[in-house]
Amino acid sequence: MMASFSRIGAIVGADFRIRFRRVSTVIVFLLLSAFAYVWIPAPSTGRTLIQINEQRAIYNSGAIGMGTASLGMIFVGLFGFYVISNAIRRDVTTRCGVIAASTPMRSGEYLLGKFLGNLAFLATFLLGFMLSSMAMVLVRGEARVEPLVFIGQYLLLTPPAIVFVSAIAVLFESIRWLSGKFGDVVYFFLWMTVIGLVVGNEASHGKISWARSFDFTGFGFMIDQMQHTLNTHSVSIGSSSFDPTKPTIIFPGLTLTREWVVPRLVSLVTPLLLLPVAALFFHRFDPVRTGQVSGKGRRNWLGKIQNLFKPLSRRFVALLEITGCGGSFLGAMWIDAVLTLTLIPFAFVALVAITIMNLVAPPAATLPVVFAVLAIIVSDVATRDGRAGTLASVRSIPRLRENYLWWKLGSTLLLSLLLCAAPLLRTISHGPVALGALFCGIVFVASMATALGVVTANPKTFIVGFLTFWYVVVNDKGLTPILDFAGFFGHSTANTIALYAVLSVIALAIAQSLYRVRLARN
Amino acid sequence: MRDLSLEVKSGVIGLLGPNGAGKTTLMQMIATITRPTNGRILFHDQDIAKRPNELRRRLGYLPQDFGVYDNLTATEFLTYFAALKGVRSRQRVMEMLESVNLHGVANRTVGGFSGGMKQRLGIAQALINDPELVIVDEPTAGLDPEERVRFRNVLSEIGFGKLVILSTHIVSDVESIATEIAVMKNGALLTMATPEMLLRMCEGHVWRSVVPSEQFDQLRTTLKISSAVRKPDGVHIRFVGPSPEIAATPAEPELEDAFLYLMNFAEAAQPPPLP
Repeated sequence: MMASFSRIGAIVGADFRIRFRRVSTVIVFLLLSAFAYVWIPAPSTGRTLIQINEQRAIYNSGAIGMGTASLGMIFVGLFGFYVISNAIRRDVTTRCGVIAASTPMRSGEYLLGKFLGNLAFLATFLLGFMLSSMAMVLVRGEARVEPLVFIGQYLLLTPPAIVFVSAIAVLFESIRWLSGKFGDVVYFFLWMTVIGLVVGNEASHGKISWARSFDFTGFGFMIDQMQHTLNTHSVSIGSSSFDPTKPTIIFPGLTLTREWVVPRLVSLVTPLLLLPVAALFFHRFDPVRTGQVSGKGRRNWLGKIQNLFKPLSRRFVALLEITGCGGSFLGAMWIDAVLTLTLIPFAFVALVAITIMNLVAPPAATLPVVFAVLAIIVSDVATRDGRAGTLASVRSIPRLRENYLWWKLGSTLLLSLLLCAAPLLRTISHGPVALGALFCGIVFVASMATALGVVTANPKTFIVGFLTFWYVVVNDKGLTPILDFAGFFGHSTANTIALYAVLSVIALAIAQSLYRVRLARN
Repeated sequence: MRDLSLEVKSGVIGLLGPNGAGKTTLMQMIATITRPTNGRILFHDQDIAKRPNELRRRLGYLPQDFGVYDNLTATEFLTYFAALKGVRSRQRVMEMLESVNLHGVANRTVGGFSGGMKQRLGIAQALINDPELVIVDEPTAGLDPEERVRFRNVLSEIGFGKLVILSTHIVSDVESIATEIAVMKNGALLTMATPEMLLRMCEGHVWRSVVPSEQFDQLRTTLKISSAVRKPDGVHIRFVGPSPEIAATPAEPELEDAFLYLMNFAEAAQPPPLP
């Protein structure tokens, strides 16, 4: 038993050290703390953290505690997953996992260690965030700090989210077909579904009784408590404007009522059931099961489906290969775009599906799907050389070393234009603004995928960032023209086009500058 | 793997074969990483597929392309694997770092280590539990000549009283330290013998000749040449084969010749009777 504890402790400790010694962890933490400052604006600016019926809740421990805990919950629930879901992958790529697998360590101990490592990382992160948010009570100076009230808000809201994300990250990493890009996308929609379920349930006054037991996000609990304690549906959390003529109100913070005790506990404990499921799928670093050794019979179902389309996609790719174009920079872009189609036979399927969808469905239904698919396909164009270890070879090719970013941008853009050829042709008849918006939207996606890929060397950054933005845009349904970046709903204006063009240029300029600095250092 | 059967006792066993011969797969099966689809591997008469922990407790494994956690120090890295192997003594960690000559950099993060230092750290983690069986897979790949010699010496020292299985495709890695050599090709075992036996297998089949430079390129495609050195009087070549095919004199076999001979004329390679 002691040996088991010792092994689990070693795994947790190593993971903790590895993560907290990364500069990126410190930067993200500092950014989050800075965001807390913006999230809790000074009332003199006309904005506030919590607004109830246009009245401002004063900045006491209850209000700031709950407001920042909900922000932390969003961070942990959505971005936290992408930050921690590389613990097992890291052991596969360094091959340290193979050594671990050759020791008496049980698979269950390893997975529990990884789960607790995730838990420790997220909890520590939130603890730091909570302390910096607590300092904001002092900065705003409207009430004294009540540590117990503050901690209480965090304890009521965040533990189920931390446990859920930690456990599901281990599960996804244990299942081969969920351990990569596909899993990243699946998680995004899973998280959004969970939020939609609990929020929808509270909006309908708890009609789905079991939904509260899956309130990992804490949103359901928060909405219900706000409705009951404040007797209103008009509550806004996050920096928003208020009516300064109305009196301020005191929000004492959330309290755990009897009806919520069991649902909160169930939400906390249920994710633990994912760990035995993970153990069933865990590969224990067997190269055959991790996919490091190819074998037709051992391919996962995603690979098998991709294989079905290979004969078709190969013929299509052969049509796109232009002999003798390799010498020019444009030719290099085209070759790289064609390589993406070769590597991802799904891209060919997507192209066919997009063309057919375009013929039968309206743009508002087609374009969001087209852009989600496009983002997934192009997300690793700018990062795959680094991951495949071919970066040094690529950089030895004339002009590609200095112009790597522009090469990847061109490749991504060509691929995107090819995939979106049918929507572009259809939009011609909708006028120049619609066409401009769609083209600008494509450029925006290609630019962000390239810029973020070059800067972070990880496709996850773009996937999670873009899908979050996409979710906001789709749910806005065109009500805010400035969000309709690609003219999904036909509400784009010249200002919209200009904004996303400028954002694209800024992102590319920053990425190119950072890339140049790195090149100079090397 | 196919039709592979071998029995090994203590000493350094060299597993020799070209890339793709199945050495790594065999190593992974012995190390209980990959489960054989057929056949059995016994350790102290126990089937390791049924009771893997019996072996794992006594195993030290250094895989091919071994990487490290860049942000950990050498001490932390070794302490981590020590804990996984059930070793809790900090003193043992320090001893191992000293034995691989890394005690001077014990508190430096391993991300800054050279390839040789990382390999030495790798062998330290493999030995931390004082294993009975040590498996090292292509340990000298990517090391400079000096580091390779140093690494060979380390392996030769630990070979006393243990079973060390060393896989490589570089003959010089095993010729001075292996007590027995198993030669593999296409997933099958061609032979397993002492280095002396391997040399005897190709006795009378190693030839030496001096050929004009202009002929060399053509001969390179027809002969199985184990070494060639350009000199003023022509190219001095060594080659293997049942018969010389060109004007040549017999040469004293070396392990490199024996390996080449086995790879190309395995059916003909029969060990001669002992004198």
